[in-house]
Amino acid sequence: MTPPSFALWSDAPEPSLLASRDLQTRELLFPAVPPDSPLASRHETVAIASVGAVYSFTVIHPAPKSGEAPYALCYVDFPGPVRLFGRLQGAARPAIGEPVAVRRDERFGYVFESVRR
Amino acid sequence: MQDIYITGGAMTRFTRHPGVKAPELAQQAILRALDDAGVAKGEVRAIYCANVLGGMILGQLAVRDLGFDGIPVYNVENACASGATAVHLARHALLAQQYDTVLVFGIEQLTALGGGTIPLQRNDHKTDLYATAGMVLPAVYAMRGTRFLHERDAAPADLAAVAVKNRFHGSLNEFAQQRSETTVEEVLASRMIAEPLTLLQCCPSQVDGAAAVVLSRRRGGHGRPVRVLSSAVVSGKRERAHDDILDAEITARAARQAYERAGVAPSEVDVVELHDAFTIAELLYYEALGLAAPGEAVPLLRSGATRLGGRVPVNPSGGLLAKGHPLGATGVAQMVELLWQLQGRAGARQVEGARIGLAQCTGGGIAGVDHAASSVHLLEVAA
Repeated sequence: MTPPSFALWSDAPEPSLLASRDLQTRELLFPAVPPDSPLASRHETVAIASVGAVYSFTVIHPAPKSGEAPYALCYVDFPGPVRLFGRLQGAARPAIGEPVAVRRDERFGYVFESVRR
Repeated sequence: MQDIYITGGAMTRFTRHPGVKAPELAQQAILRALDDAGVAKGEVRAIYCANVLGGMILGQLAVRDLGFDGIPVYNVENACASGATAVHLARHALLAQQYDTVLVFGIEQLTALGGGTIPLQRNDHKTDLYATAGMVLPAVYAMRGTRFLHERDAAPADLAAVAVKNRFHGSLNEFAQQRSETTVEEVLASRMIAEPLTLLQCCPSQVDGAAAVVLSRRRGGHGRPVRVLSSAVVSGKRERAHDDILDAEITARAARQAYERAGVAPSEVDVVELHDAFTIAELLYYEALGLAAPGEAVPLLRSGATRLGGRVPVNPSGGLLAKGHPLGATGVAQMVELLWQLQGRAGARQVEGARIGLAQCTGGGIAGVDHAASSVHLLEVAA
């Protein structure tokens, strides 16, 4: 991934992923509009809630020769509302409706993590 | 409105063409299409080339040695909808009376890329972020498949049945890459790619091919005249937070435009070539194209209506799943198949008595939209 020219996360004590809210339509855009974007003045930056629910998912099975283990990819719906795509860590397989939290990840910027009890 | 005709068409077999350069591959289709249309090169007044990953000015490269004498060549890229978009633009020029007769061809050499999924267009923050996390087209369709199985009265075997049907059709088509039939058990037992989609539910990624059609304001060619009743190309709207990923909105919108402009109802369509890049796609497009009511895709498939011999055969060519999907060539090859079907030239896979045909393809590869482009064409053969 090319290093983004904008912040994915807030710098609050408990950081949140950031989105942009369209000042006219109130729709949320993720990732946030970069500050140098011509569209920046039409948006405000807002924090995304830390927990959402899996809308759909797949488990990718890489080619055997890659040696890579299967991994889950999800669409997750967060309050806002806003839907994010990303990787799920720490669970064998997700389920639709399952609550997941978002956390920082050095490789992907963010990942989802099951908060299933 | 002025009638526009497809007066001839041809395609190469979709398969691996090792060692064949783009001009030779494209020329195989171009020369046969011109012959099929019965037009001399001097009658062609413009050329449209559809290609996605072959590099700049591929159209001029392909026709440089064919003696077209410097006529305009337009290179068209709209991802997997490139071929259909080229036909759409060619029709515009004919309707505007800019030209009388034009050539449209599509070509792609995916084997040159070495395999794997088609890369996304990453010159965008969102797409780059999502692609880094693992977004690829099989994953996008697989998530639709997961949701489909969650919401609908459907099982993985229903997804597999799409591949079984289209592989049967492909077994009858000498131009298809996959010529062998398969079974639901084989499809489900093939290697898992992106749950719930197994390998045989994904169109082959190692394929080359070219297809060409001649469009004209005048009737011509060898068979009964085939008219382009309508042609729609639309772009994807930005995804919203609560979008239903089972609602192929962009394709439904293109289909509504095409039906309305043609004055044709979905029930009048006799044969369909649609964009079955993955099995789940064909089921979603049954509903988006109005072939099935919302929620009725699986019952339609199970009824046999979309199989050869059924009420409205879908992908008699084998579709992308069996015929193969060389991106830029796909939309043009769909037109070629419909031309042959409507003129009664489709051999063992002939849909008897077909009068109206529909072609649909979609182009994707960026995050944040359902698809980037979708195109629907309706063709009719003269009685």
